[in-house]
Formats: sequence, C-alpha cells, structure tokens
Amino acid sequence: MPVWLREHSWRQTPTAVYLSLPLRGARATPANIFCSERYLKVSIPPFLFEAVLYAPIDDTNSTAKIGNGNIFFTLYKKEPALWDSLTLASADKEQLQYLRENAVLKAQEKAKEETEAKKITKQEHKKYALEATMKLEEAERKRIEALKEKERQKVAKELELWKNQQKDGDKYKSIQKKEELHQEIEPLKERKNEKMNKTRIPNEGSSKTRLKSTRGHGSCSIFSQKLKEEQLPAPRAPATIKVNFTPRVFPTALRESRVAEEEEWLHKQAEARRIINSDLAELEDLKEEEKNPDWLKDKGNKMFAMGDYLGAVNAYNLAVRLNNKLPLLYLNRAACHLKLRNLHKAIEDSSKALELLTPPVPDNENARLKAHVRRGTAFCQLELYTEGLQDYEAALKIDPRNKILEKDAEKIRHLIQGTMQSS
Amino acid sequence: MSAALGAERPQVVSHVQQALSYTVFDCKWVPRSARLLCLGSAARGTGVLQLYELSGARLRLLREIEKPKPIKCGTFGATSLQQRYLATGDFDGNLNIWNLEAPEIPVYSVKGHKEIINSIDGVGGLGIGEGAPEIVTGSRDGTVKVWDPRQNEIPVANMESVQGESKRDCWTVAFGNAYNLEERVVCAGYDNGDIKLFDLKTMSLRWETNIKNGVCSVEFDRKDINMNKLVATSLEGKFHVFDMRTQHPTKGFAYVSEKAQKSTIWQVRHLPQNRDIFMTSGGSGSLHLWKYEYPAQRSKKDSEGCEMGVAGSLSLLQNVTLSTQPISSLDWSPDKTGLCVCGAYDQTVRVLIVTKLNKI
Repeated sequence: MPVWLREHSWRQTPTAVYLSLPLRGARATPANIFCSERYLKVSIPPFLFEAVLYAPIDDTNSTAKIGNGNIFFTLYKKEPALWDSLTLASADKEQLQYLRENAVLKAQEKAKEETEAKKITKQEHKKYALEATMKLEEAERKRIEALKEKERQKVAKELELWKNQQKDGDKYKSIQKKEELHQEIEPLKERKNEKMNKTRIPNEGSSKTRLKSTRGHGSCSIFSQKLKEEQLPAPRAPATIKVNFTPRVFPTALRESRVAEEEEWLHKQAEARRIINSDLAELEDLKEEEKNPDWLKDKGNKMFAMGDYLGAVNAYNLAVRLNNKLPLLYLNRAACHLKLRNLHKAIEDSSKALELLTPPVPDNENARLKAHVRRGTAFCQLELYTEGLQDYEAALKIDPRNKILEKDAEKIRHLIQGTMQSS
Repeated sequence: MSAALGAERPQVVSHVQQALSYTVFDCKWVPRSARLLCLGSAARGTGVLQLYELSGARLRLLREIEKPKPIKCGTFGATSLQQRYLATGDFDGNLNIWNLEAPEIPVYSVKGHKEIINSIDGVGGLGIGEGAPEIVTGSRDGTVKVWDPRQNEIPVANMESVQGESKRDCWTVAFGNAYNLEERVVCAGYDNGDIKLFDLKTMSLRWETNIKNGVCSVEFDRKDINMNKLVATSLEGKFHVFDMRTQHPTKGFAYVSEKAQKSTIWQVRHLPQNRDIFMTSGGSGSLHLWKYEYPAQRSKKDSEGCEMGVAGSLSLLQNVTLSTQPISSLDWSPDKTGLCVCGAYDQTVRVLIVTKLNKI
C-alpha cells in the first residue's frame, strides 16, 4: 500500500496554480512525475500523491521544480478562472479510475506525436543538408566543365588553323612542283631538239622515256620516285625462321591470375591418370565395370548381405585401390572386418572413414554414427573399454535418441566400473 | 573523367565522337592530311572501310568501301607519301594493298595466312627510314610473315613453329631497328606471353622472353632508328618497357613494368613527335598517357663484366575514361602533335586532342 502524501499546500491566481508538495525525505526525479491535462501524479515508491484537477491545465507549459525536499508545481490553467479547490472532491472511484486511464492514454498519444514531429524535422534537416552538398558539388562540377570547355574550344580553333595551313601548304607545294617540272622539262626539250640534229646518243633515248613517263602519269613526283626506286635494295631472299613456343597445355591465352587454377586442374588430371594406369597389368583382365569403384562397392554390399565376408573385403580392397577417397568403402570394410573378427583392421578402417568424413555436417551424420559404433564395438571386443566408451559417447552425441546405443553405453560403463572395482 | 586539372598536365580533350554502324577494329590517320580511315566488320559479315575528313567539329564521311571479308587491321607504313596505299589484313588471312582512289581491285593481294591476320605493320614508306618497303603480318595460325610488295605470293621471311610442335596465336607484330638499308627487326607477341625478336638481316631469332600474360600489343618507340625502347602490353593490365640498347647474353633486355589497371591493355602507341611519351588504351575504355624517364646510366656491368641495360622509370601524365567498352585501336596523327583517333568496341570512333605535350 502506498503512503499517501497529503500535506500539500497550494495557492492560485486567475491563470495559474502553484502547488507545493513536501516529499518527506524522498528523492524525486522528473521520471517520478506524471502530468496530463486533468491528472497529476507523483509516485516515489512507497510515496504516492495524486490529484484529479478541478479544471484542465496546459500540461506542456506547466513546470515542476524539484529541490529542497519539495516539489513546486507551476500549473497554467487552460481557462482563466478561479478554482474552488485543487481537486475534484466529488469524484468517485470509477470516475477517478476512468480519468486516470484517460490521462495515461493521452500522455502516450502526446509522446507519440512528439516523436513523429521530431522525426519529420530530422528528415527535413537531412534533406536540406543533402541539397546543400549537392549544390556545392554541382557548382564544382560546372566549374571544371567550364574549364574543359574553354580548353576544348581553344584546341578546336588551333586544329582548324592547322588544317587550313595544311591545305594551303599542299596547294603551294603542288604549284611549286609543277613549276619545277616545267623548268626541268624545258631544258630537256631544248636539248632533245638539239640532239635530234646530231647523231643519236643514248641519252636521248633515256630523256625520251623520262618525258613519256611524266606525261603518262601526269603526277609530278614520279620523277623522284623512279630515282628512289633505283636506290632501293632488291627484295630479300625468302627464308624461314623456325620458332619454339613456351609450352602451354591449354589453348587459351596465358593469364597470370589463372595460373594457379590451371595448375590445380592439371594436377588432378595427372592424379586420376596415375591411378588408372598404376595397376594396369593386373587390371587388364578385369571387365570394364569391375574397374568402377561404385560397382565394386555394390558388389561388396551384396556379398556382405549374403554372408560372404571375405569376398566383400576383396571387393572393397580393389575399390579402395582405384579410389581411396570414398569414406563409405572404408566404413563397409570395417563392418566386414568386425564380422571376421579382424578387430584391429576394423578399427583402422573406421578411423580412416572418420578422417574422410570431415567436416562433420548433418549430411554425413549417418555415416559417422556407423563409424563410431563399429570402432566402439571393435574396441570393446578387444577389451579396451574406455576407448570403446569414448566412441559410443561420440555416437550418442550424434544421435542422442538411439536407445540401443544408450543401452550398450550403459553396459560398457558397468563393465568398466566392474573391472575397476575388481582390480 | 579525371578531375585533376593541374595547370601543366596534358589534358585529353574529346574533340569529335562518331557513332558507327559496324564494329571498328582499326583506325588510322591518312598521312599528310586531316583524313582518317576506319576499318572494321559490318554486322552481315563483310568488311567496311570508311574514309572520314575532320571538318569543324564533326567527321564528314568521304567514302565508304565494302569488301567481302571483315578487315582486322591496316597500315600506311610501307607506302610512299604520294601513293598512300593502304595495306590491310582481313579475317580470312588475306593481305591486300589498296589504292584508295580506285579501291575495286587491290594493287597487291595474297592469301598469306590460313587464319585471321591479327596484326599488321609496315616500314620503309612515308619518307621515314631507309630500305625496301616491307609489310609484316601476324596471324592466329602462329606464323609471322614479312612481305615485299614487289614480290608476289611468296613472303620474304616466314617465322613459323618447328614442324610438329604446337603453335600459339600471334597477336601483334612490329617493325624496328630499320636505320639503314639492311637492318630490320620484327618483334612478335603471342598469346602465351612469348615475345620474340627476329633479325631480318641475319634471318635468325635474336631474343625471346615470356611475360606471363598474353601479349596484346608491341611497339618500338621509333621504327627507323637503332632500337631504343620496346613497349609490350598484355592481359591483366600490365605492360613492360624494355630498354633495347643493351642486350645481355643471358638476361636479355632490361625492363620496367607497370600495372596500370585491372583490365587488358589493348594498344600502345608512341607519340610521333616525342618518343618517350606513349598512350595505352585499356579494356575498361580508358586511356593512359605515360612518360618514360631514362636512368642516369643506361647500362652497367654485371658481376662477370658483361654489359647489361638499366631500365628507367615511368610516370603517368594523365588518364581518362572515354567509354565502357575496350578501346581497341589508337593512332596518333603524324602531322599534328597531340591529335589522335581511337576506336572502341562500342562502335564509336573518337578524335581526341592531347594538349600541352610540347611543354613536357
């Protein structure tokens, strides 16, 4: 039962109510004060003060001052009027209850609204900040673009100038060449006429051909061209150079990043080939299917089911030689050995099977369970009960609900305790 | 686009962009003019040759020529300045030399290879260097053949694998060391990372190496001088710059390598006006402009007293991303410094201007 605080004192003005509440030694924090429009509560366990106010107050603006073992409330009235008393005296229990609940609800709603308002303002602030940064970046980009554009235009102008220069240069050159040609042809013509009157000299012939060639092509440069051609060396004598390439197995281009993968692939291929080729002599007289480890495994299983344990072991042996990475082969061979009472071999095989069955995942649970059970059985039969128990416990860990396993584990424990007691 | 605008760095300005209706494999400037040539493959499986002229801010189509087989590569390197014949290699292994004024019948034609000619280069023409004009082609059939336009049918030199051995695709070829009438060298890059240097004067293999990634493009910094530098670009974003002046008997040539970007570097082209500046184009549609700086001493003696080269250093001058598809071809204009054309697999050809190159 709370202790009610009743020694409050209050006074009022037309717009406000001042309430002073002594706390009798209790420490108050803002969390202890709950105020809504018509309901005021201060709860500092075990002390409690509540008041259903005479008229509604403005609870957002009202304040409470905590200090000196006292809480001083300044409550602003919603309607300026003088109150007859602080609380509604005529309130009965139900009304009080209703008002309390109402007050709580209202307070919650208010809290919600406030948080939402805060969120909205926060978002707006963020948006604003974002827009501001975007504007800044845009401005920066524009500046850079403008610089680039200027550069581009400058360069384009230079290009145009150069092009025009080229064109003019070409025209000038072609005119020049034509002039030169005329100048050269003129003296030749004169000489030709002179020589016509004299006896024929070989020069004439060559000058004639020279003239002819220029007339024929109409291009001014053949002159110089011919001269140059005479200076060019003859085409080389055909020859072949033999090259050797750095060996590469794959037809694709060499890439440094792929070298590791390629090496791995080649390695695996080499492994597989080696296995197939290693016992070639002995395997020659076997049929094709008898070289398939899976087929051999099935054969072994059938023989086990029929009770031919030695045959099964043989089948599994051959399968292991062909592919020593299949855990099931070892597992089944362990079972055969158990039946044949080759306990050490059984232990070896189940251990090998367990090794191959890493990582321990739900998929190979079954297989691991069997491996543990078989190894455990073998250990027990060798009277190495502690090791056997270890395996049984491991098996139980994999499958805790197996009753048979539990019973067997119990038996072993008893045996151990029995031997310990007796020794 | 690179955001850094240092006052003195060269800028790559995109001048004109032209969308094409075919896949462009190679683009070349026509020497001594403002015209450029685009070679490629149309969707219906025929070859296309388009001649454009740069006028104002656009490219004006002057001629369009269609050929039966798609064209992979072309060069003006082996013709005279007056004739300006184009040598092309196509998807069928045919080498043709065309007179662009009369392109119906080739001036020279030979079915040089059994498979696509991946790369072509010419030397001895355009008034550069001395010696006979020759064309070298590298093909997917693993052979590199050197042709002389004056000799029909038979190549002047044939670099093929030893009988019975496996062959690797040749992806790129380049001429170099053509500083007098007799000397010539052909460098070939293959898809298994081999780079082989063949000496045509002695008709022998001069040097070979393997750079561990398929070689996409090789180029000497100048064809017509004593071999100075060789840039070889490859898959996986790497390229190597070899200093070709000093060959060590076992270690070969010294090199510096750089990993520029994660994607293949398709092409490298040296600036005709400055042999230490080159541009690499990448599979991510980006272009990088590099400058090579020579070391203090280009050669030193090793422990046995043999000369070995010292590689210099590379600095990245600028990089820019123009496209989302690989830029497969790049060509600098020999006439205007900084003017270049690049063709990308997004079926566009772009004319770019690189500024401030004379200030480097």
